[in-house]
Amino acid sequence: MADLEIRDLTVEADGNEILRGVSLDLDRGRTIALMGPNGSGKSTLAYTIAGHPSYEVTGGTITWRGTELNELSPDERARLGVFLAMQYPVEVPGVSVTNFLRTAVNAVGGEELPVRTFMERLRAEMAELQVDESFLQRSVNEGFSGGEKKRFEILQMALLKPQLAVLDETDSGLDVDALRIVSEGVDRLRSPELGVLIITHYTRILRYIRPDEVHVMSGGRVVASGGPELADELEEHGYERLKTSA
Amino acid sequence: MTTILSDLDEGGLVARGEAGGEPSWLLDRRRAAARRFVGQAWPDSHVDEFWRSTPFDVRFDVGRAIAAATAAAEAPASVLDRVEGGGVLVRVVDGALVDVTAHPDATAAGVVAMDLGRAAVEHADLVEAHLGRLTTSGDGTGSDEDRTVSLSDAAWTGGVFIHVPDEAVVDVPLSVHVHVATPGAHLPRILAVIGRHARATLYLEHTSAPGVDALVDEVAEIVVLDGATLRLASVQDWGDGVQHLGLQKAEVHRDATVRSLAFTAGGATVRLRPEFDLVGPGAEVRPLGIYLASDGQWFDLQPFVRHIAPRASSDVLFKGALQGRSRTVFRGNVFVGRDAVGTATDENNRSLILTEGARADATPFLEIECNDITAGHGSATGQIDARHLYYLRSRGIDRDTALRLIVRGYFTDVLEEAGLPGVTEHALDVIERRIADADLSAIQVNDLGLREES
Ligand SMILES: Nc1ncnc2c1ncn2[C@@H]1O[C@H](COP(=O)(O)OP(=O)(O)OP(=O)(O)O)[C@@H](O)[C@H]1O
Ligand SMILES: [Mg+2]
Repeated sequence: MADLEIRDLTVEADGNEILRGVSLDLDRGRTIALMGPNGSGKSTLAYTIAGHPSYEVTGGTITWRGTELNELSPDERARLGVFLAMQYPVEVPGVSVTNFLRTAVNAVGGEELPVRTFMERLRAEMAELQVDESFLQRSVNEGFSGGEKKRFEILQMALLKPQLAVLDETDSGLDVDALRIVSEGVDRLRSPELGVLIITHYTRILRYIRPDEVHVMSGGRVVASGGPELADELEEHGYERLKTSA
Repeated sequence: MTTILSDLDEGGLVARGEAGGEPSWLLDRRRAAARRFVGQAWPDSHVDEFWRSTPFDVRFDVGRAIAAATAAAEAPASVLDRVEGGGVLVRVVDGALVDVTAHPDATAAGVVAMDLGRAAVEHADLVEAHLGRLTTSGDGTGSDEDRTVSLSDAAWTGGVFIHVPDEAVVDVPLSVHVHVATPGAHLPRILAVIGRHARATLYLEHTSAPGVDALVDEVAEIVVLDGATLRLASVQDWGDGVQHLGLQKAEVHRDATVRSLAFTAGGATVRLRPEFDLVGPGAEVRPLGIYLASDGQWFDLQPFVRHIAPRASSDVLFKGALQGRSRTVFRGNVFVGRDAVGTATDENNRSLILTEGARADATPFLEIECNDITAGHGSATGQIDARHLYYLRSRGIDRDTALRLIVRGYFTDVLEEAGLPGVTEHALDVIERRIADADLSAIQVNDLGLREES
């Protein structure tokens, strides 16, 4: 049994069926790329894995290391090592970056880190991802540029050390330098303990983070699967050909 | 002696003043105010525009005797306890000034903090010039139309006089701590004069002993002279049995600056009027407010800014959180007079409804007699945003902790901007305690925003 096992998953939002039977396996130590046209359901799948309240599972299962995730709250999932870098990170006014990160690290780590130890780790990770110290004084995502938000998501991933990381278009909105810094950051975090699901429209990020498999979604289903070469094919020919063959 | 509020006794007032050694001009003022009082009725919510939202007769019980000063009750904690090095602390307990704790920095700067009755003799020039001037100015900016104010003018006890001399720079806070330990009516009165180009921090603290039933009719007059800078805070930490009528009126002169925070968390009913008359060109005020209302509480907050002089600016921001069956009223009044060209004014109110049953009303009210100005206002009432909650929870933070972070975060901007040593820390503690006591499972979350997400 794979660490992450998604079986025949159907999901509704606002009464509309969006996922129509998705199955997918991911083991720790491996990386999957998930591609597909706009509106095909990629973010829906990502959010559903991470327990977003807007998405209702109407059928099928998501099992993470033997636990059925559907029963668990978003915070319980995070404490089991599930992490979602969101396509559109949320601004949370008044909640300071430092306080937020410390609370999250303590919650996921299951122990109160001494403030000094935490700050040292935080500063080290910020340096790796070239996030300026001035962000510590700011509120979570508030007034961050699109690229800064994405970088901040990966900073959280680095601090929370998940075992399953779903990266939803982390590469969108990043300039070339930021893309390199963020991708290298993610690549550095790859380990036999971490499974990565990268949602993207572009092959660029996949050059830094080589996927083991590529899957393509369309209309709420996985319509094609293959090796890394599938991503290149898609970049060249687009999704049209797949849609017709699917 | 005691006086029934609903039947103020002029002769008794004068006799009490004489016994206290009050000068004749002060006795005359008490007498005049007592006559005004007799000619006035208590506020009537059906008639009085400013009382429309709060039923005076239901929320305020005026059939009480004026509480007599008793042996000084045990000193409750002051926000100054949290300030390193402390400050000047004036304690008023049950209508009597019980002690003044001096601070060498303030003493060296020539700060005066003393009993108002004594000051009427020892600092007669200042006290005679200013006491009652802001409540009875008669040019349309006065507040003597209100019987609750005439009552104070006539019968105040336990008055405090604060003077910060011209040019004095006083960084330690000066605090007047009004504590109520005895049931009945309490009439604290404060007069503060902040000299030209002086800089000072003034706190008004309000506490009561547990279980005490009392009506507090308070008037503070604060004169901020040319070029002075004042940071002002009023902290309402009353127990459940207190009804508070507070007029805290500042007169702000040329190029003077006032930043104030009204922090209201305690009391059965608090009706607070933080007022600012901008009488000098270039005056600038930033009235801030935070309120936390829980089951049974009723807060009626009425900041009032009057732009009398040209080129003055004001920017009001009040934020609150409500839970249980509580009620808050924000009526933000801005008046811009005929001569107030170049006025810039804005007023905003935000309320966060945490649980079902709480209700927050907001009426920003502008009266403008002058064209050449910029004015804005806004108000919003809402609930915790489900997107904020989800984001925090998706990082492993449990629901209760996430709610705490969000509610605390909601007030961060105001607290940071107010930046008042001791008060900020105290306010944060009260906010934490309120959330800790809240039934977090009953907190309602607004999930409308979730739909716009994808
Ligand atoms: N909360 C929601 N309520 C209603 N419809 C939704 C909701 N979330 C998603 N949808 C719909 O489901 C479909 C899939 O959306 P989703 O965000 O999963 O697509 P995606 O593959 O991530 O697209 P993109 O590449 O543009 O990010 C879309 O048609 C979208 O409008
Ligand atoms: Mg998407």
